[in-house]
Amino acid sequence: MVTLNPTTHAYLDGQLLAFQPGDTILKFVDRHKGRGFVPTLCDAPQLDPYGACRVCSVEVALKEDGPRRVVASCHTPLSAGMHVHTQTQKVQKLRRNIVELVLTDHPLDCLTCEVNGNCELQTVAAKVGIRKVRYPEGKNHLNRQKDLSHPYMTSDLSKCINCSRCVRACDEVQGQFVLSMHGRGFDARIIKGFDTSFEDSECVSCGACSQACPTSAISDIFQSKAIVATEKTRTICTYCGVGCNLDVATKNNEVLSIQAPLDAEVNFAHTCLKGRYAFRFYNHPDRLRKPLIRTNGHFEEVTWEQAYAHIVENLTRIRAEYGPDSIAGISSARCTNEENYLMQKFIRAVIGTNNIDCCARVCHSPTAFGMQQSFGTGAATNSVEDLQHTQCILVIGANPTEGHPVTGAKIKQRAMKGVPLIVIDPREIEIVKYAKHHLQLRPGTNVALLNMFAYFILEGGMVDRDFVGSRCENWSEFEAGLRSLDLDQIEEVTGVPREKVRAAATEYAESPASMSFHGLGVTEHSMGAKTVMLIANLAMMTGNIGRPGVGVNPLRGQNNVQGAADMGCQPHQGAGYMRVNDPAMQRLYQDFYGMPVSGEIGLKIPEMFEAARNGRLKALWLMGEDVVQTDPNSEAVKESMNALDFLVVQEIFMTETAKFANVILPAASFLEKSGTFTNAERRVQRVNAAVPPLEGTKPDGQIICEIMQHMGYPQADYTADGVLEEISRVVPFFKGATWEGLGDNGKQWPVKEGNVGTPIMHLDSFKRGLGKFHFFAWQESQEVLEHGLEFPYILTTGRLLEHYNCGTMTRRTGNADIVVEDVVVINPADAAKKGVTGGDWVRLFSARGEVRLRSRISEEVKPGVIYTTFHFPEHLVNNITSDVHDSDTLCPEYKVVAIDFERVGSGDEPAGLPIREKGRAHTLPV
Amino acid sequence: MSLSVPADIEKEIDERITHYPVSRRSAVLPVLHILQRHFRFLSEDAVSWTAAKLGLEPIQVLEVVTFYPGFRQEAPGKVHIRVCRTLSCAMAGSYELLDNLCQAAGIDASRMGHHHPFAVSKDGRFSIEFVECLASCGSAPVCLVEDELHERVSPETAPDLLARYS
Ligand code: SF4
Ligand code: SF4
Ligand code: SF4
Ligand code: FES
Ligand code: FES
Repeated sequence: MVTLNPTTHAYLDGQLLAFQPGDTILKFVDRHKGRGFVPTLCDAPQLDPYGACRVCSVEVALKEDGPRRVVASCHTPLSAGMHVHTQTQKVQKLRRNIVELVLTDHPLDCLTCEVNGNCELQTVAAKVGIRKVRYPEGKNHLNRQKDLSHPYMTSDLSKCINCSRCVRACDEVQGQFVLSMHGRGFDARIIKGFDTSFEDSECVSCGACSQACPTSAISDIFQSKAIVATEKTRTICTYCGVGCNLDVATKNNEVLSIQAPLDAEVNFAHTCLKGRYAFRFYNHPDRLRKPLIRTNGHFEEVTWEQAYAHIVENLTRIRAEYGPDSIAGISSARCTNEENYLMQKFIRAVIGTNNIDCCARVCHSPTAFGMQQSFGTGAATNSVEDLQHTQCILVIGANPTEGHPVTGAKIKQRAMKGVPLIVIDPREIEIVKYAKHHLQLRPGTNVALLNMFAYFILEGGMVDRDFVGSRCENWSEFEAGLRSLDLDQIEEVTGVPREKVRAAATEYAESPASMSFHGLGVTEHSMGAKTVMLIANLAMMTGNIGRPGVGVNPLRGQNNVQGAADMGCQPHQGAGYMRVNDPAMQRLYQDFYGMPVSGEIGLKIPEMFEAARNGRLKALWLMGEDVVQTDPNSEAVKESMNALDFLVVQEIFMTETAKFANVILPAASFLEKSGTFTNAERRVQRVNAAVPPLEGTKPDGQIICEIMQHMGYPQADYTADGVLEEISRVVPFFKGATWEGLGDNGKQWPVKEGNVGTPIMHLDSFKRGLGKFHFFAWQESQEVLEHGLEFPYILTTGRLLEHYNCGTMTRRTGNADIVVEDVVVINPADAAKKGVTGGDWVRLFSARGEVRLRSRISEEVKPGVIYTTFHFPEHLVNNITSDVHDSDTLCPEYKVVAIDFERVGSGDEPAGLPIREKGRAHTLPV
Repeated sequence: MSLSVPADIEKEIDERITHYPVSRRSAVLPVLHILQRHFRFLSEDAVSWTAAKLGLEPIQVLEVVTFYPGFRQEAPGKVHIRVCRTLSCAMAGSYELLDNLCQAAGIDASRMGHHHPFAVSKDGRFSIEFVECLASCGSAPVCLVEDELHERVSPETAPDLLARYS
């Protein structure tokens, strides 16, 4: 017999059962009887309890025969020993009557409704036993107009039951505050913004409201809640390092819609518009569907066998003639771990060179390098989940609400709940509104500012001496460096008053748990890796390592940029970060691959381009990279492509780079392949093919396996679990990972035996033993030193929520209707000086070239700083970006470009550039 | 934002906000009352201004404005009259009083609704609102002309009443 533990048990319909602290009555019932046992309408698992509809009413008593009261179970806390009665006649009658009243103002056209069969109102009505509505027809809202204004979001508020779930989803999940209940009583209705349409509101089309709405009152053009799909596949979003889980609904091998799983640890019923809605690129008519070989200047369709034979012949010839180091490969952070692993294996074991790199070079290579120097591991120390435990958030050079929207929303939610937020960014980005401190520095002065930040922690006596003494080294050098700083000079170059820095530094150092996030605004600089080490210094000197709610957390750009480096797509480290020039490690790889491998460090991407230009590099294999459009200084990249003897490109679309290829291999998109992605918090998650590859195309992994086989290497055919198994035998931190064991929510590496993940790293000691402090004096960027006088403005670049990189994918979706062009943002003072008014065409010119863009005038940038995005390659922003690179990792300095600008025409003039009209077909100029 | 709030009003608002140290959201109502008193109604700009002042989202203020019929989203007449509609006054003739006032002021009473509980005369001089109990039931029927209470107003005297404010 169960004994009543008065603090942990209560009675559910007479049965004594355990509950958990903080349970509401409904949570307690759900846990024991399953969701739906007590009907609900306004409650949803992803939202806070609300208590609006009373459909969840139950009777409760404090004693077995004591007086009973009717309460709404969803928002009433449970107390020990309570008697909960869920099925009494009284509550059943009450529920029935409530639902009946709701139905008097609801169109009874279920059979033609898009959510028929998956409508919570329908389900609840059936559950409470309604057969017909007894009330006569009265005043109602059945003639409300539909809102079909938006490329994705729709509403038909005649179906609305005023449960406010959408409002709460927008507030609590996304934090956008678009929706609200207008008026009260009978006139209460959902509005968007100041009572406008979705299109004209501030909606960011995350879809959280649509997913939360129990009926079809708010929905989307894909009718995501409809149950026409025959299959659902859980996979991972391909658009950013957050790694949102997606439920992909398909029928007849076609993707119909995407929702966010309710049990996803990463994104719990949330996504951004890219993950949920921007999938229609996958079967776009522009997809490549046949291998192509260039003959006499044009492409000819060939069979896969012909393509492979052509490749083998050329690679073999070039290797024989010029040696393996005349060949290089560039892998893709968009592809799976398995594909990246195979790609580097192909280059290393089959070709025989370490000339392998990936696009992490142009984004987070400084993070990996810098964190390795400080901690021994180049990855986030903590998890996004830790935002729930942190008490101070520091965001440096990242714009999370646009770049990493789901994590951005979480940061925003925490800041709104009062967690102090410090933002270090040259621009007044969205989260600045919620920040307690904004240090708006001049681009290119991160190192100076962070030095001052550290100085004030030291000067204020806030250094965690115990942590520094027991777990770190090289402190005295760092301390001496800080003491030698010239604060006047730093104030001048950063443009940030020292008192502001002192206040922010104090906030960070004094909070019991501080967590930092950084992005490309840290790495894409000439001192990028050094800045990362400084961020690590801040965490170490304040003891913010190895606990919940602390650490150094890069917001990694692409969905698998972490994985690409983990798998060894780097010229100096193989799979699992072992150094290729260490003879012991060379032997290890050699034995594992069964082939001789090179002990020479290979070429980094910029070095490859240079080697191609001067004839040392003859052949290049590109997997899913459009380097011509995305790498800086496009003209030089094109020259490199032209200089190559042989270029193979694996792609889904005919990109600018693919046009230079000798062979193009049509690959499959993420929806058509299986494998794993590793997100920014080291979480290895399973990607499952939702549909088979489009006819004629092959997943990248399969292509690489087949080419390895054609080159004579005994590589097994591609299977996701098979390659993962191979990886787990060579990559130490994948040791315990198995396909089955990763489960629905993945595991954070290091994955130990038995699929045990690691949410927090460096608990008791660092990977490298002691954490190492480094001091660096700030240096002006070469770009500014060389060109600053002639080109006095600093251009810095960034991203938008709606588009992904050069837009190859997002611009083939409805997102192209939301944002139609890149614009340049200019401070009003600078605009006035040059006679520019908002919307005017402006010519930006640097030492390398020029672009023309339309202007927006805003105080979000300080005078002297100009900002633009580069999602629309036809504007060719990379014509003006520089060749300056991070001195340690050769990551390009996209964030500091010396420019000048002038007005060239009013906004009505086309200025010789295509202006993308709203609503135009989503076809790119090719 | 184009709402220009005079310094003394803003000062009063800033002071009032200090009464709500725990949640700035609680200060929405008092701030709106002060703004409505000054501007006579709450424009979209007033809503945005309040939101910015309190660090809220505009829609969090708008929903409060629309919830209470006492907040006006459109300009009233130069003289705003509130006639009590609750039981004591109703029995003492307030419905008739309302009709007479409307007629005398040239107001189309059919334009009054639950969420737009007042109507304005064509010349913009008067607006009339039918409101709940004004807490002077003993001297029914009553009405408030701006801030001035008129008791035992017999319906026939409606034109005289207006004349006093012309
Ligand atoms: S789609 Fe997202 S941002 Fe837009 S209204 Fe819905 S919840 Fe709010
Ligand atoms: S639109 Fe949907 S979620 Fe929003 S209140 Fe209406 S029924 Fe509820
Ligand atoms: S936040 Fe990132 S991972 Fe999540 S849906 Fe958006 S793009 Fe995809
Ligand atoms: S579900 Fe509990 S009140 Fe609506
Ligand atoms: S009923 Fe009119 S004042 Fe109370």
